[in-house]
Amino acid sequence: MGQSSLPALLQVRGISVSYGHIRALRSASLEVFPGEIVVLIGANGAGKTTLLETVLGINALQEGSIVFDGRQIGGVAADRNVRSGLCLVPEGRGVFASMSVLDNLLLGAHHNMKNVRANLQRVYDWFPVLAGRRNQIARTLSGGERQMLAIGRALMSAPRLIMVDEPSIGLAPIVVNDIFAIVRRLNEEGYTILLSEQNANKALKCAHRGYVLETGSVALSGTAEELLSDQGVREAYLGA
Amino acid sequence: MQVLIAQIINGLSLGSIYVLLVTGFNILLLVAMIIHFTYPQVVVFSMYITWVVLELTGNSVPLGIAAGVASAVVLNLVSAPLFQKVMTKRGEVDINSTMVLSMGIGMIITDVLSHTFNKGLPIAFPEALAGGAPLIQAGLISVSTGQVWSLGVGIVAVSGFFLLLYRTRPGRAFRAIAEDPNGARLVGIPILRTGLASYAFSGILGGVIAILLAMVLGSASPGLGEQVAHKVLAVSIIAGLGNLAGGLVVGLLLGVLEAIVQGYISGTWSNAIAFLVMLVVILVRPKGLFGTKL
Amino acid sequence: MPLPLYYYLSITAVNILMSWALYLPYRVGHLHFITVANMAISGYTAGFLVLNLHVPFGWALLCGFLLGGLIGFVVSLFIGDAPTFAVVIVGFTFIFISRTIIENLSIIGGTMGMFGLPNIGGSPSAHRWIVLAILYAFVLAAGFLIYRFDHSCLGRAASAVFVDPDLAASLGVNRKKLGMLVQTVSCTIAGGCGVLYGFIYKSFHLDFFTFALVGIFMTVIFVGGYTTQWGTVVAAPILYGVPLLLPPVVQSWRIVLYGAALILVLVLKPEGFMTPRFVRSVETFLSGSRRRRNTSLKEVS
Repeated sequence: MGQSSLPALLQVRGISVSYGHIRALRSASLEVFPGEIVVLIGANGAGKTTLLETVLGINALQEGSIVFDGRQIGGVAADRNVRSGLCLVPEGRGVFASMSVLDNLLLGAHHNMKNVRANLQRVYDWFPVLAGRRNQIARTLSGGERQMLAIGRALMSAPRLIMVDEPSIGLAPIVVNDIFAIVRRLNEEGYTILLSEQNANKALKCAHRGYVLETGSVALSGTAEELLSDQGVREAYLGA
Repeated sequence: MQVLIAQIINGLSLGSIYVLLVTGFNILLLVAMIIHFTYPQVVVFSMYITWVVLELTGNSVPLGIAAGVASAVVLNLVSAPLFQKVMTKRGEVDINSTMVLSMGIGMIITDVLSHTFNKGLPIAFPEALAGGAPLIQAGLISVSTGQVWSLGVGIVAVSGFFLLLYRTRPGRAFRAIAEDPNGARLVGIPILRTGLASYAFSGILGGVIAILLAMVLGSASPGLGEQVAHKVLAVSIIAGLGNLAGGLVVGLLLGVLEAIVQGYISGTWSNAIAFLVMLVVILVRPKGLFGTKL
Repeated sequence: MPLPLYYYLSITAVNILMSWALYLPYRVGHLHFITVANMAISGYTAGFLVLNLHVPFGWALLCGFLLGGLIGFVVSLFIGDAPTFAVVIVGFTFIFISRTIIENLSIIGGTMGMFGLPNIGGSPSAHRWIVLAILYAFVLAAGFLIYRFDHSCLGRAASAVFVDPDLAASLGVNRKKLGMLVQTVSCTIAGGCGVLYGFIYKSFHLDFFTFALVGIFMTVIFVGGYTTQWGTVVAAPILYGVPLLLPPVVQSWRIVLYGAALILVLVLKPEGFMTPRFVRSVETFLSGSRRRRNTSLKEVS
């Protein structure tokens, strides 16, 4: 599935964000269309996490605008955005280690308790390993299982857009392949996904389009193929 | 043998009160991220309000209970913006400011209680709430129906509370914030609203505790708040600040210890012994027996 | 000397000293409430020595200091580097236990209290002058000590511990030793204060050493400003004096007023009124005017 003729689900236009005196984002812009997988590539400290968290509603915008599903969400609090269909799978899994798998999933449904049972069953169908461990404390899960739990938790809120921050960090290569396979399957089911990655190779291989973030602004953008074959990108991020 | 049983019943009902107090305190610590030192004084305040309403309405117990619970909730919600204002760090507990603010509130409550109600003299609760004919009598020790009731209510309250924490939506939100406030925000938990809910919640809990205290002690005085506050705080340190399960264990232990000592030594000394034991534990392990959250 | 003035000056001195006794440990973040227990313990001990054992006042006062220091030192072995919370609870527990013990010991008067302590120096008026002299000599000495501490590397280390204990530790500050030092000194000051407090009234009573006292000293420190020692010097006389000027009806609500003042300060001006900036500008002003008079170069801090 590629770009549809529908308007962008998410439009980030020229946003700037500072932490105190440190400019984390300078006039960054990107777009995500329904049904796409869009990748944000960049080195450590380039501003990927800041961008995703700002879209979610954690950071205040110094300038620029964010439009989600046709509505301005710059300055709106995170919990309201989650309720409107935005969600983030944070780096470090976004899993509460002292709580059970089931409780973690139910937390995801905090704003969406209506079809909780059905959603829970769907997540269990997607991730049978979670079904088997539903009453286990999350701390006892492996890295890959925690990542699945985090994604499952995000799915419980019936999101329109799933943002994933560095899904492959700290995971063994085999597990990383599984995670990206899940991302592709989710997309085939109709979920729109914006993910950030240092591991550009695998990310670009499953995405439709991508943006390259450098010191807080978008240096390059294009389709996945274009970025994969771009010389600068290959040297900087693909280890070629 | 009968003495021991009577004392254990007494101890468990007193202990369940300590558990509830520690839990209310811990919830405020974990979710609202404040140290509300003088939360037990809020509870004593609501005991006084219950007493006033009982006097005014000719011992209407339901009204008294409702008034007590309402007053605790109101007091908590009124102090919430003050606490919010003095907290300097968003995702962490600011010990110094919140603790000192709580002490200021406690000063006011205790002094108001010693001036306005019953001219500062201790107040006694009617038989409808406390006392009643002794159910078990063994020498000088007796267990009244009121005390058995309070044990029952205490058990229900503790289980109800933990049930709420572990099986309901707000309880999950509380636990998530307790474990990781920033992570909870990223997941979409409304931090401010849940924090305020915890004030209301510990207010309700406080009202219930007030009723239980009235049933167990049968009386109250302005200094009761401070005394109970110090014990509860000692319990929370020993159990480990923020450690709910630890609070359960240590609270019950303290209650039973106090009751057993009281059976053999007179009043004020039993208090002093309880404090002495706690002092020794704290000196030896300032960070608590089961590990602290701070 | 008129009696009200005597009481005002003497109590103010005690308030300054006790607030300093709390200020010092708070420099490392500890609210060292055990000092109130020190007051009671040293005070009653000294009273007993003078009244029952006819020990001269000077020796009794010395005992009070030493006893305070000893208790402070021994306790600090355990809580020198403990979290603030633990220090607070230890303090309250000590106050409670010492009150209970005093209450139950009839040889020192129990709940009735200890009365009829002799006049130092023979006559009532000599007694008052001597007590005031000792108190204010004490204030000057303690003030000087604390000034030297604040302006030394120990004082800077304490500030570092207050702001970030872990960072301070990694910079080489021995938190435990520093904590032990300030706690011991603080308890020594408190011990002496307790003795003098009783001798102001020539009696000792449990009502002198209540938890409300903790509240009063806390209000003095926080309203005055806990970042410098001058805050308590200014706040103590004012906070003690102003209620005395109000009608007695309002005076009985003193504690409520203090509590309200404490809350207001925390919410509106958390650093208190005497902030370091204010102190520095006063120092600059003073040394600046001196410079103008002496026409010589002076270092401006």
